[in-house]
Amino acid sequence: MEARKNCRIGVYICMCGTNIAKIVDVEAVAKFVSGLPNVVLARTYKYMCSNPGQEMITQDIKENQLSRVVVAACSPNMHERTFRSALRSAGLNQYLLEMANIREQCSWVHKDTKEATEKAMALVYAAICRVELHDALESMSVDMCPNTLVIGGGIAGMTAALELADAGNSVHLVEKNNHLGGNLARVDLTAPYLYSARDLLTERITRIMDHKKVHVYLESKVTELTGYIGNFKATIRLINGKPSEENKPVEVEIGNVVVSTGYKEFDASRIIHYGYGKLPNVITSFELEKMIRAGRIETKEGKIPRYVAIIHCVGSRSQEFHTYCSRVCCMTALKYASEIKSANPACYISDIYIDMHAFGKGHEDFYRQSSEAKTLFLMYEKDDRPVIHKASPKDDCEMLIEVNEKLSRELIEIPADLVVLMVGMEAREDSHEIARIVNISQDKDGWFIESHPKLEPVATTTDGIFIAGTCVAPKDIPDTVAQARAAAARILARIAKGKIEVDAVYSEVNEEKCSGCRFCNQLCPYSAIEFNEETRHSYIISALCKGCGVCVAACPSSAIKGRHFTDQQILAQVDGLFYEIEDVKQKTLG
Amino acid sequence: MAIRVNPRFIDDLERFGAEDVKMCYQCGDCSTVCPHADDVYKFPRKSMRLLQMGLARKIETTLEPWLCYYCGQCSTQCPREADPGETMMSLRRWLISRYDFTGIARQFFKSRITEVLAIFLIALLTGIFLLYYGFSGGSIHIYDGEGAFLPSPFIHKFDLTVGSILAIFLVINAIRMWYLVMIKGTKFAVPWWLYLKELYQLPWHFFTQKRYSECEKKREHPFFMPWFIHLGLMLGYVTMLVLVMVFVEQLQSGPAIQWSVHIFGYLASIGLIAGTIYFIRNRVKKNYVQYKKSHGTDWVFVILLFLIVLTGITQHVFHRTGLYEWANITYVIHLICVVPWLLRMPFSKWAHLIYRPLAMYLAAIRRDALALQEKLIYSYPINIK
Amino acid sequence: MRTGVYFCQMEESRNLNIDSIAKYSANLPEVETVQILGLKPHPEVKILCEQIKSNNLGRIVIAGDMPGYFKPVFTKAMAMTGGNTNEIRLASFQEHGARGENAMDRAKAIVACATMGVPFSLVAVPGGNPVNHSTLIIGSGIAGIQSALEIANAGKQVYLVEQTGTIGGHMAMFDKTFPTLDCAACILTPKMVSVGQHEMIRLLTKSKVVAVTGKPGSYRVKIKQSARYVDIKSCVACNQCSEVCPVKVESEFDAGISLRKAIYIPFPQAVPNAYLVDEINCTYILSEGKKCGTCMKKCPKECINLNEIDRTIDIEVGNIILATGYELLDISKIEQYGYGTYPNVLTSLEFERLTNASGTTGGRIITKTKHINKKTQKEEWIFSPEGIPPRSVALIHCVGSRNKKYNPYCSRVCCMYSLKFAHLIKEKIPNVTVYEFYIDMRAFGKGYEEFAERIKQEGTFVIRGHTASVAMNNGQMIVRGEDIFNDKLVEFKVDMVVLAVGLIPAHGTEELSRMLGIQRDTDGWFSELDYNGSPTDTDKGGIYVAGMCQAPKDIPDTVAQASAVAAGVLRSLTSGKGIGHLSSLSLSEIEERAKNMHTI
Repeated sequence: MEARKNCRIGVYICMCGTNIAKIVDVEAVAKFVSGLPNVVLARTYKYMCSNPGQEMITQDIKENQLSRVVVAACSPNMHERTFRSALRSAGLNQYLLEMANIREQCSWVHKDTKEATEKAMALVYAAICRVELHDALESMSVDMCPNTLVIGGGIAGMTAALELADAGNSVHLVEKNNHLGGNLARVDLTAPYLYSARDLLTERITRIMDHKKVHVYLESKVTELTGYIGNFKATIRLINGKPSEENKPVEVEIGNVVVSTGYKEFDASRIIHYGYGKLPNVITSFELEKMIRAGRIETKEGKIPRYVAIIHCVGSRSQEFHTYCSRVCCMTALKYASEIKSANPACYISDIYIDMHAFGKGHEDFYRQSSEAKTLFLMYEKDDRPVIHKASPKDDCEMLIEVNEKLSRELIEIPADLVVLMVGMEAREDSHEIARIVNISQDKDGWFIESHPKLEPVATTTDGIFIAGTCVAPKDIPDTVAQARAAAARILARIAKGKIEVDAVYSEVNEEKCSGCRFCNQLCPYSAIEFNEETRHSYIISALCKGCGVCVAACPSSAIKGRHFTDQQILAQVDGLFYEIEDVKQKTLG
Repeated sequence: MAIRVNPRFIDDLERFGAEDVKMCYQCGDCSTVCPHADDVYKFPRKSMRLLQMGLARKIETTLEPWLCYYCGQCSTQCPREADPGETMMSLRRWLISRYDFTGIARQFFKSRITEVLAIFLIALLTGIFLLYYGFSGGSIHIYDGEGAFLPSPFIHKFDLTVGSILAIFLVINAIRMWYLVMIKGTKFAVPWWLYLKELYQLPWHFFTQKRYSECEKKREHPFFMPWFIHLGLMLGYVTMLVLVMVFVEQLQSGPAIQWSVHIFGYLASIGLIAGTIYFIRNRVKKNYVQYKKSHGTDWVFVILLFLIVLTGITQHVFHRTGLYEWANITYVIHLICVVPWLLRMPFSKWAHLIYRPLAMYLAAIRRDALALQEKLIYSYPINIK
Repeated sequence: MRTGVYFCQMEESRNLNIDSIAKYSANLPEVETVQILGLKPHPEVKILCEQIKSNNLGRIVIAGDMPGYFKPVFTKAMAMTGGNTNEIRLASFQEHGARGENAMDRAKAIVACATMGVPFSLVAVPGGNPVNHSTLIIGSGIAGIQSALEIANAGKQVYLVEQTGTIGGHMAMFDKTFPTLDCAACILTPKMVSVGQHEMIRLLTKSKVVAVTGKPGSYRVKIKQSARYVDIKSCVACNQCSEVCPVKVESEFDAGISLRKAIYIPFPQAVPNAYLVDEINCTYILSEGKKCGTCMKKCPKECINLNEIDRTIDIEVGNIILATGYELLDISKIEQYGYGTYPNVLTSLEFERLTNASGTTGGRIITKTKHINKKTQKEEWIFSPEGIPPRSVALIHCVGSRNKKYNPYCSRVCCMYSLKFAHLIKEKIPNVTVYEFYIDMRAFGKGYEEFAERIKQEGTFVIRGHTASVAMNNGQMIVRGEDIFNDKLVEFKVDMVVLAVGLIPAHGTEELSRMLGIQRDTDGWFSELDYNGSPTDTDKGGIYVAGMCQAPKDIPDTVAQASAVAAGVLRSLTSGKGIGHLSSLSLSEIEERAKNMHTI
């Protein structure tokens, strides 16, 4: 236990404004730890993460020759990077830092100050015990391959691809359909300005097809992705093509991946009382889109509808189906209202909505124009959906929609010859497959999770994998394009740098102890462990290893050591957690 | 049972003046600034909503439009310039056409021409009749007494006939209004004695226009002006009506002025002159929200009234100055204006002379009945269905 | 292909002479007929069919500001005559920015491209000028910071120009951010720090762009940097100067709800972390060095120099990013909410500062209390420690937004931050009643809808029904509203009213737009080149817009845009294609390109 003796620890306790200080008595914690052996100093500060906060740390390290640092603040997810850089700038190895999470795991979940403070003490004490055993690790850097793989040839994918290719990097664009354009290819005009979606696509598709740097793989999918940031290997296969000479899987080397697989529309037939599929003239928004493109807005009987009803939030904003808002339907609905009016001015349009989400540039104005054109807006309660009945022969309409109108509090029936269901967006059924292949996570709705909802909207928890467009969450075209470019920007920056740092936290096999049982080989989720036939030992490709520790736990002869997560470190931390105040006193004394 | 929405209704109401109601996105600002909206009678938002959805059956049983005196606050406040004030006004016009069993009102509101033609027709008939009567047995040189062109007893009878026609229309329509509101529109029991309890409301609101004055608190005009003028105008022509119906013979008898009667005449005339001029001026200048949009029918009314007053005064002057020929001529013109104006009354916005006080009366009754109802429910919770 | 060109204008556009455009388009190849249908026409399907037949048109071009409005009726006509409905092309003047000085040529070019069936944006790609590798970013809110980091991390020089004394913008003022409720400072300050430390970012605070000359790829920019009067390098933010300073003024950073000194630091985490002097209020500067100056004497590091003078910096940059953000609508002119007359009516920003942990009350939500100002002997309402928390609070949405008289547009963030306020109030004050008056609950983003639901669960009264009346009844504020869903007129006694004030472009936006020749939309926000296709570019080469200054948007969307801009910049630096103004392309040039362009 050399480390324990000659190490000088600085402990920093953050108040996080009042996030921590309002429950945890930070001063008490500071007082408690300042007495501990090896602890040279313990300070509190309002925002440790702030510039002065970090400067305080670097200053102390220099002035008091600190050799270890414990920061008691928020989750390491949030700020470990920040404080590591603080250590670096003070010339101390960044792995000699340990964070105690006294916000998410303490102040945010406790009401009683006393308890919270005690827990905070335990957490900090545990961190101190652990940090004593930390080793100075060196992280390594790897080359960044300038090629990029883009999965999904919708507007997002194409935008990202073009941004990258125009900057002079080659891009592999994989699309499962036999044409580019994705869902946008089904749309004629875009809300709210009714610009031509077709021109938008034509422009991009043409440029991609002419681009020397973009390799397009139609009717193909990525079946395998191995490697790590900067050095991925992807296997691209033709979908349902028989393996033969001309179509054998292609292997490409890439440095980064952009996932832009888009969305699929909600299946309207899941909502029984809309009678989609049974009533001939109940159609989805995309079916109407087809009609508009063909210039025939007609009922199945070929009549021009006098009354059209548009129902919003089909599958969205409901407890039964999807709780989230699909974000684009409101404007699309208004677009249809205007298009139908343009084609059949005599037609009466009722728009049955929950809340009118006209939030973007030009949206509210579009909403106003729709009112001006006498679209009748009717509001219904989230989970009290309209019911569509067949009208009786003596009525002047095909169907009657019964709904509890909320603004008048009347039970009303709306005449309709044609009912348009604004189907929401949902994650593609194959999204989990892609998530598995590129190793990113999904939320409960199946959307891919960004590494930070606000400040990292396109990055994922897996380095080198970016997400853009409607596979992250529903969004409209401008926001999708912006995201796609954002992803491209990240990649361009990295390519410009040429190299990338890889975390030094990975596992190592102690060849003496390894019995060559190969347990670990199968277990490793990142297939980072291979077997050396000569030496009959397993070995770990450190760049691939994410340091998850599965192998460490599994190894029967405990031959594998997880760097920065050694047994001693973890046990010390656990001991620390369950400390007895006496032991502490004893330690303090001798 | 679900009520059928009628998207076409809003087009129909445009003819009555509700051109901007389609713009309303139901924020409710209007109701919060309205000085008259309360917990039982919530407007303008609710009324606008019913209109947008075309629930005519519901609207015709509501009193809200009558409870609005168009202070214009809602219209100035409205974030989408849907002009609730004008919408309420249009609803009043529409209601008048609903109460009117003849369907004439509807025609008048919907087409200017019909109205003007009708007026000219009546005017023509009146003219022919009077001239015929005058020249057969009377002399243009005699104004009153033996051989007069238009002897006062005859005029008296004539007035009474016109008056009673007017009355018949008004009464029938008033009864229809009561039926729509209290029978069709009131789903809860209304004890008879409430009708007596609230009876005072009728004369009170008729003669004071109390509610109107409350608008002024919210309005930018000084000294409650519109209310004051409106009151003057109203009292003016009510007085005139009485004079004409009852005291016409004294009015016509001359040459000496009978102050006991004439004084009222003079006062009324002042009120009428002032009123008509004030309103014509505002409608021309459009200087307040509530005068921004003038429905054609509004013009016809004020202009006719103005002519009536003018001719009335001139014939009076001629009579008193002994220019009998001129007096007779102006008198005929005067009557030519009066008759269509009176007969038009039940079919025009000016039926509100009757409908408003009646509405206040019924509103009060419904409110009381509702209160009782709630007490009832409160005391026997079992009864709640 | 036999083509017919139809002109349908939505509204009178002043600088477009439709007749001459029509004349021009009549001479374009394959154009059979040109029709001017005038303003807001209702094209008759019958007539259209006849015209299509008689000229047997294969392609129809609809030209105008919003030709899309008329497309369906033309499509119908095309279908009825059995033509190919895909051959209806739009020539949208608005989409491709046919405004301003060279509107006519642009409009003609747009029509030309449409008649040849080529997307304008495919043809009109200016380029040529070599690109200087450094970038100028105007405005250092979250948008500016994000772009700066993206570009600097690629190893490119960035100049970050900020008008105030610190970077961070509005986001730094916020307490927590919806819907995740993590504190703004926690996620923003690290980025601010790394901006401050980044070797590739040159931070110019208290600075203003005064002139921009040159061409795309090499803009010469004159920047006026006002004196800070404190040396950034040596200042350690010890606060001793501030302690001795006699002058007290309203703190901009605290949205005016607290006081600061004339020498001050906007907030503890400010970057650069140095004090600055507010020359408008400093006694020494006002008296030209005759009075005061105590701070200079007090400063232990002798880093204050009140005689420092402004300086101008000339730099040359390849790209310019506009991230100037927004400000609140001045609501003193919207009387009905009683802002300014009733003490406890706050704007959203004031409330943010009130509830902020690092704010004047340390995050305690309290009502203002009456005080006698010692100097003026006037009574004034301020937030003081003895203030008591409100028993009930009303949050009013859409104040000045969605309103034809003020902002016709929706400010996009108010619904969510008002819900957030509701949560914070509920969290901080036991058994408080909170009312929300809204028109449409616009919870559109990822996790927003769920957040809104959660707030309702927490017991906030979310009332569908806006209000336009806040009244004072002997010392008690009363908010009158219509609870539309329950069909009630309601009157609530409240101790505090928070107004979700609409957003408008930051002051100086107009000046910048004139300086750089960037178009602005009718609401005053910067116009992007193409609403869908390139939401962050402008039609000036190498000039981009990011974040709020393009239109209101929330933090994630702002960040995404800011990064997107970086992509544009980095591309221009590495592609070697160079950049140029769209207007640099002559009409004939565009025609030429369009002719020998093939589309797929």
